[in-house]
Amino acid sequence: MTMDSNNGRPLLEIQDVYSGYRTDFDILKGVNIHVKPGEIVCVIGPNGAGKSTVFKALYGFITVRQGRVLFDDRDITNIRPQDALKSGITIVPQLRSVFPQMTVKENLEMGMYLERDKKRINRQIDYIFDLFPRLAERAKQKVGTMSGGEQRMLEIGRALMWEPKLVLMDEPSAGLAPLITKSIFRGIKQLNQQIGLTVLMIEQNARQGLEISDRGYVLELGRNSYEGTGQELLHNSEVRRAFLGGH
Amino acid sequence: MEQLTQATINGVMLGGYYAVMVLGFSIIWGVMGVINLAHGEFIMIGAYLTWIMNKQFGWEPLTAIIVVVPVMFVLGYILQRILINRIIDRPYLISLLVTFSLAIIIANATKLIFTATPRTVNTVYSGFWRIGETSITVPKTRAIVLIAALIIMGLLWLFLQRTRLGKSIRAAAQNREAARIVGIEIAAVYALTFAICIALTGAAGVLISPTTPIYPFMGGPLTLKAFAITAMSGLGSIPGALAGGVVLGLVETLIATFVPGVGTNLGIVSSFVILVVVLVVRPQGLFGGLKAAEAH
Repeated sequence: MTMDSNNGRPLLEIQDVYSGYRTDFDILKGVNIHVKPGEIVCVIGPNGAGKSTVFKALYGFITVRQGRVLFDDRDITNIRPQDALKSGITIVPQLRSVFPQMTVKENLEMGMYLERDKKRINRQIDYIFDLFPRLAERAKQKVGTMSGGEQRMLEIGRALMWEPKLVLMDEPSAGLAPLITKSIFRGIKQLNQQIGLTVLMIEQNARQGLEISDRGYVLELGRNSYEGTGQELLHNSEVRRAFLGGH
Repeated sequence: MEQLTQATINGVMLGGYYAVMVLGFSIIWGVMGVINLAHGEFIMIGAYLTWIMNKQFGWEPLTAIIVVVPVMFVLGYILQRILINRIIDRPYLISLLVTFSLAIIIANATKLIFTATPRTVNTVYSGFWRIGETSITVPKTRAIVLIAALIIMGLLWLFLQRTRLGKSIRAAAQNREAARIVGIEIAAVYALTFAICIALTGAAGVLISPTTPIYPFMGGPLTLKAFAITAMSGLGSIPGALAGGVVLGLVETLIATFVPGVGTNLGIVSSFVILVVVLVVRPQGLFGGLKAAEAH
């Protein structure tokens, strides 16, 4: 079923990965996903299929027991979170990941906690403020007082502070109203076109996720069941029946 | 009227001290989720160290701070590594039991070493200033303690707000997962937080030494007061600690002044009353903080 929209070398390759929270029980049982530079790739699947677990394994929060993760031609299997950051992967987790009692600007600064060069940090903050004028307006506001959509925008902005090669987004629409969800997806697509942002995304909201994606994967019971371009999956009758509430 | 003014002045000065006394307790709670029931015992250690410097070397009590802070920092760091690290992420009951045991061990070890005899330190700043023609007085020692407390809180505030390490501590308190994903090493932040807070608590022991007798079992009531103030102040808030400290200080001195026949014995009772009332009426604390107090 594979139909790559682009022929470049993959930026990220997850090869036959087995992982889980307990040593005697794997959630992921042979996951294969790859992402090429400039792509938006969306992983969909039912609850408990192991979607979030893929990210945790990628980012060093849990151990990969079997298989490999390649990034930028380097083996990054079981990398530490700090090193994932340094090698150019950032993450926007599903649960709120802002620091509510810090200002917007401080939150962005924290995005580059590992950078010691103050000038570079300030340069990057200006860069993010250019991309997200709404955040610039609220630079001094305490983040806890902002709406869910604005906080999500800040989380994405913070993930871009490092100018990452790849951003992992775990359900960017989680907990947001439908209208806000739409604008967040539109924003992700814009960033993808504007700065060539590469995104690997997990989405419960399968239809909207696939609509902005170049390619998608369906994960079931810890392994891939379907893959294809966003449009192919949107029109695949089995995928539609199972995940899109279609007919 | 003069009596009320006098009680208010005393209460505020006591409150400033309470604020610095409580911060180590409330920051550890806020950042690490550990309720340190040995808090008062660390104050006691700071006070005994001060007494030693004062008796053996004739140091002015408050100057002992330059010895006590580094010693307590190292003690805090070691304790975190060998003991506290193992109980983070466990249910509150475990940390309560472990730190309660630690309190008993420290208090009784101190009794074995120094006996139960209450000790006092000598300071040149005895006596008081009289305000104008009134009978209102400001005890010199307490005024100096208040100033020292304000300086310490100011430095702590600058550290938490302005420095990279301070920000990492605030970040870990506000959202631990988020702190991890921006590359903060949580274990290192915890070790540093505990060390700093124990150093701060030791400094509170230095500050309390000129105004109260020092004895092995002085810690318990102080831990209880820390609880009461934290209930009001929220976890890790410096302005909250100041406000909560002053409320407790005022309640204690006003009761001691105006309720006949009880003297200062009601101090502890008023802590309890405040604790219970706040927990019932406004369990999230009165003033906010690093984060709101919550039961895990």
